[in-house]
Amino acid sequence: MRFADRAAPALLITLTLFVFVLLYGPLMVPIVSSFFTVSHGTVDWSQPTTSAYVALTQNDSVLSALWTTLIVGAGAVVLSVALGTGLALYYASPNAKGRNFLQFIIFLPFLMPPIITGLALLIFFRQVEFERSLLTIIIGHTVFVLALVYRTILTRLQSLSGSLVEASYDLGASSWQTFRLVLLPNLSSAMAGAAILAFALSFDETMITLLVTGTQSTLPVRLWAMMRLGFTPDINALVALVLLFTTALCLIAVRYLMPASAVAGSDDN
Amino acid sequence: MSDSAAHAGPHRLTPWLATLAAYIVPLGFVLAPMALFLVYSFFSVDHGSIVFSPTISNYVRFFTDPVFLPIFWRTCLLCLAVALLCVLFAFPVAYFLTTLRGRSRYMLLVLLLVPLLMSYVIKIYAVRSILGGNGMLNRALLATGLIDKPSMLFVFNLNAVLLTLTVLLIPFAVLPIFLSLERIPKALRHASADLGATNAQTFWRVTVPLSLPGTLSAMSFVFVLAIGDFLTPQMVGGQSGFTFGRIIYSQFGTAFNWPFGAALSVILAAVVILAIRLGGRLESKHGGAK
Repeated sequence: MRFADRAAPALLITLTLFVFVLLYGPLMVPIVSSFFTVSHGTVDWSQPTTSAYVALTQNDSVLSALWTTLIVGAGAVVLSVALGTGLALYYASPNAKGRNFLQFIIFLPFLMPPIITGLALLIFFRQVEFERSLLTIIIGHTVFVLALVYRTILTRLQSLSGSLVEASYDLGASSWQTFRLVLLPNLSSAMAGAAILAFALSFDETMITLLVTGTQSTLPVRLWAMMRLGFTPDINALVALVLLFTTALCLIAVRYLMPASAVAGSDDN
Repeated sequence: MSDSAAHAGPHRLTPWLATLAAYIVPLGFVLAPMALFLVYSFFSVDHGSIVFSPTISNYVRFFTDPVFLPIFWRTCLLCLAVALLCVLFAFPVAYFLTTLRGRSRYMLLVLLLVPLLMSYVIKIYAVRSILGGNGMLNRALLATGLIDKPSMLFVFNLNAVLLTLTVLLIPFAVLPIFLSLERIPKALRHASADLGATNAQTFWRVTVPLSLPGTLSAMSFVFVLAIGDFLTPQMVGGQSGFTFGRIIYSQFGTAFNWPFGAALSVILAAVVILAIRLGGRLESKHGGAK
């Protein structure tokens, strides 16, 4: 792309930089201040310390929230990947009935604001007298992340050549053998990527959790409760750790899901 | 249907079983709750317990009560403003992204994706620490001498909600715009240049109109995410920053009127569906022509 005037690219870069400052700048505040002590509402910049991180390891409510989050995440990942794979295979199968309607239902919780999904589940659980617990959070998260997991796996499934499956049947494989020996190995990296993405989404999910939780709180819900009280070093330390963790997850997910051409940098345009 | 299938033996039964298995979770845990919640919006509350007889009183209350309708419109306007601001910020980034190739494009895309997966609550908290009366923004403005006492323009009010939502939702706007810019065939821009158009003319008369569907779907995307949010207004909105989402949430907490909350959510859902339709329709109209 050639620009006659030099101002345009410079302006473009400046604006892009500005947006990145907007996106990342605010996050630096809690991260940096987590290493200093706060007294009377002002940060004492004279002496960096890791005391806030040490204090976190003794904070039982944070540790139990972390534990809850991990259990919920694991549950939601297992359920959503199993369901998402099954649903993607069903959608792609020639015998599928009303596949677009089914897909629409799967997408609903992702299209609708989380408050609606959360409220619908809250009313539903109450009506069928299903006590709100860890299980209701897992169900809420599964329903929420299912759309993304399903879509990721379906995209990979549809990118596979149909002749793979035909060849497998021609060679006498049963449909189970075809699934296990042909489809599954080809889907596995998409499934892994989807699983990481699902875990990352579940790890951060707050709005649905706030509505369907009983007495347990997940990490974001715990953080939410802490944050309403103010700006303290232990919140900042927790914030820094959570950011580190989600960034790592995101980078791993990207590795699995980005097409190889994007990583290698071929110009396929 | 299962009877005839059963008689036909296991081979005919399998597709039915597969269909049943495929539908059970989406119907049981998505469609049923959504349907139930629609039904709930026609119930009412009397002395703290829910009355299960149909009435449209919740909807009548929304349209006649002097409190709810103004907040509803104000929230719609707020979210429209957020959508516009996000697109304004996102467009240059998306455009810049299309000028890059290879590794640098990939890196920038990843840098845009990372904040998408970062904890929403943490992002709100981080922006709040910038916006507060004693926050970074006020300190910076004081230090540069632009103002001589902390400005309260963006402290715990609707402006704070506007700014926070914009910062939070920009990445969601970049991706659809980027995708639509990418789809514009290079030949069109070359043709425009060959016909003697300047770069500015090509940009405004070829690139911008062709990216319109992506820009509009980005707007509808951001609008939907903003209007359903109740955490941001709760955290940075203070007393004056009351939004529709907050009102819905309060019906399930302090106000304890689930049927009314359900009715308000149905109205929210209607707005969301309208926004998605508007965004999607233009996409299929223009984008499909390619």
